[in-house]
Amino acid sequence: MTALLRRYHFIVPYLLLTPGLIWLAIFYIYPSIQMFISSFWSGSLEHGFTFSLANVHNYTDGLSRYQEQIVRSVFFAAAATIATFLISFPLAYTIAFRAGQYKNLLLFLVIAPFFTSFLLRVISWRTILGDDGLLLGPLKSAGLVSDDVRILATPVAVISGIAYNFLPFMTLPIYVSLEKIDKRLLEAGQDLYATPWSAFRKITLPLALPGIFAGTLLTFIPAMGDYVNAELLGQTPATKMIGNVVQSRFLVNNDYPTAAALSFILMAGILVAVAVYARLLGTEELMSSAG
Amino acid sequence: MSEQHPSLFDRALTRRRMLQGTALAGVAAFLAACGTAAQSVAPSVAPSVAASEAPSSGPSQAASPSPAASATPKPSPAAELNFANWPLYIDQDSSNPPKSPTLEGFTKKYGTKVNYRETINANEDFFGTIRPALEAGQDTGWDLVVLTDWMAAKIIGLGWVETIDTANTPAFAANESDNLRNQPWDPDNNKRAPWQSGMTGLGFDSKVVGSQTSMAALWTADPRWKGKVWLLNEMRDTIGLTLLKLGKDPATATNADCDAAIAEIKKALDGGVVRSFLGNDYKEGLIKGDLVLGTAWSGDIIQAQLEKASLKFVIPSDGGMIWTDNMLIPKGAAHKYTAELMIDYVYDPTIAAQIAAYVQYVSPVKGSKEAIAKNADKTVAALGQNPLMFPDAATLAKTHIFKALSADEDKYFNDQFSTLQGN
Repeated sequence: MTALLRRYHFIVPYLLLTPGLIWLAIFYIYPSIQMFISSFWSGSLEHGFTFSLANVHNYTDGLSRYQEQIVRSVFFAAAATIATFLISFPLAYTIAFRAGQYKNLLLFLVIAPFFTSFLLRVISWRTILGDDGLLLGPLKSAGLVSDDVRILATPVAVISGIAYNFLPFMTLPIYVSLEKIDKRLLEAGQDLYATPWSAFRKITLPLALPGIFAGTLLTFIPAMGDYVNAELLGQTPATKMIGNVVQSRFLVNNDYPTAAALSFILMAGILVAVAVYARLLGTEELMSSAG
Repeated sequence: MSEQHPSLFDRALTRRRMLQGTALAGVAAFLAACGTAAQSVAPSVAPSVAASEAPSSGPSQAASPSPAASATPKPSPAAELNFANWPLYIDQDSSNPPKSPTLEGFTKKYGTKVNYRETINANEDFFGTIRPALEAGQDTGWDLVVLTDWMAAKIIGLGWVETIDTANTPAFAANESDNLRNQPWDPDNNKRAPWQSGMTGLGFDSKVVGSQTSMAALWTADPRWKGKVWLLNEMRDTIGLTLLKLGKDPATATNADCDAAIAEIKKALDGGVVRSFLGNDYKEGLIKGDLVLGTAWSGDIIQAQLEKASLKFVIPSDGGMIWTDNMLIPKGAAHKYTAELMIDYVYDPTIAAQIAAYVQYVSPVKGSKEAIAKNADKTVAALGQNPLMFPDAATLAKTHIFKALSADEDKYFNDQFSTLQGN
């Protein structure tokens, strides 16, 4: 066997890739093709669906009809990504450079919420953000905010829910890239009369970029398609995201063609956005130089 | 509404005669031909559905070696029964919560293990999970499922349920409430057995909003409830109640009526009175105080009163809605005979009273009121006097049923209602 492998060593990488490729083929490529086909359907569940390339209008119709929800999703996802970044960077920085012996404990605490079910965490936010909940209750009884103020069923609730849920996906990659930074580079900068701020701006931040890039992607992409936060914390027409539309088109209205078309619009939109973003940040060069 | 329903599938019925001799095979073939199941599965649909229809009394557990030719092979209860239902919809042993005395009793009587799963949260969603198997003429894995009238009508119309052999269900035949019998979509009373009925009306916290009797309250920007009002996200409940507010009958609703109701609800949304569209989780908000007034299901409020006594349910003066959830045996179910035994078992008034005392919806079983009144526990016995569980003629007169929508109407109504909710 080993002799055989040695002889045909060029086959080894393919063998190693096989399980992943099979997984991808069954759970991603096949359903994608199915969905792509159904995005060109017309008809209804009762009368049956028929395929026709002329149904490309499913895409334009979907875009114009759900423009509002698409724009809102971009806005919510972007706001949540910025919020997670603002929370994560100082956090990761502290863990990487200042935590000392508590480093592992702090890292564990970042992941700790993941030991609870995602759904439970979102639902517990309903209690925290409730009209008289942990946050607003004390503020209201202190007279700091008026009684009819609410957070639940507003965009703020949905954005905070998303930001909370994706926090570790931002924190961990940034932590990893900060952790890798050679401290001697900072010392060298200081020797050359760099102020702490300019050392941070010229050394730390650029070297952390791959982590920031990975973190924003890991947050922004799933946040765009998220529907659970909008469903459980928003619950109002003014907070519905494109994920909610896809869910309801698929499961409530049995409108498979529109749902499939919207899914592809979402996928294509994200791909384009990521490509532009990668170009802007120029991380490809950074990653290759780091590696 | 009886005229409306046949139109739902008449296209299928006319095609049927051209296609095949067997009605069911025809419907299935029609569906397959239409490309709904444009996959490789399509060609096999017709024969397998037709085949599963053949042994009308023969549950598949009769796959015992006994010769199939004998006149009436006595079936025996299967070792297990797969039963899908909605959450909190059967009695539980208070000292041993997930256990249900009703299900335990069934196991004791027939030796059948009941795999009871609270897996149904919405009619459409659940139907979505069993439709592929039904379409392909395969066993869905469920022997008994509980779905609301309109969905039951749809599945029966598609020919995707087993006919209940009423010889096996004498209690069901005798004890089903008269007002539920002979639905236009089940004229022979053997395609479905009602599980519970319930009413939709106004639910509110009387300590905050006082006493409310009219739907108009949901359109009034009163500081006591502005922004703390919810509407049910079930189209038939919310559109139905709004139609009643507008003085229209939900039993004869047209697309134009739907538009009028949507426009009316929009006013309440734009005025900032209504905060959310919710399913079962409105109960949580109502108990916490984030919500104080909205459209609600009768049994939910009776249950929630245990946690918050100031909660009230009323049938609005404009009129309320009434609906029934039904037990169905999906086509091709592996344990049809045992499912029939279960249907019959829960139609025993004592068992029905046991379930009703816990779920507190309207029991479809004659004699359950008398049985519950005899309970040794006084608070339980008092439920026999609860007008929301055992509505009198005057209450029933104020309730309305929703029209059996045609497929196109159903699409239109749901589409408008989805758009209203922002999706």
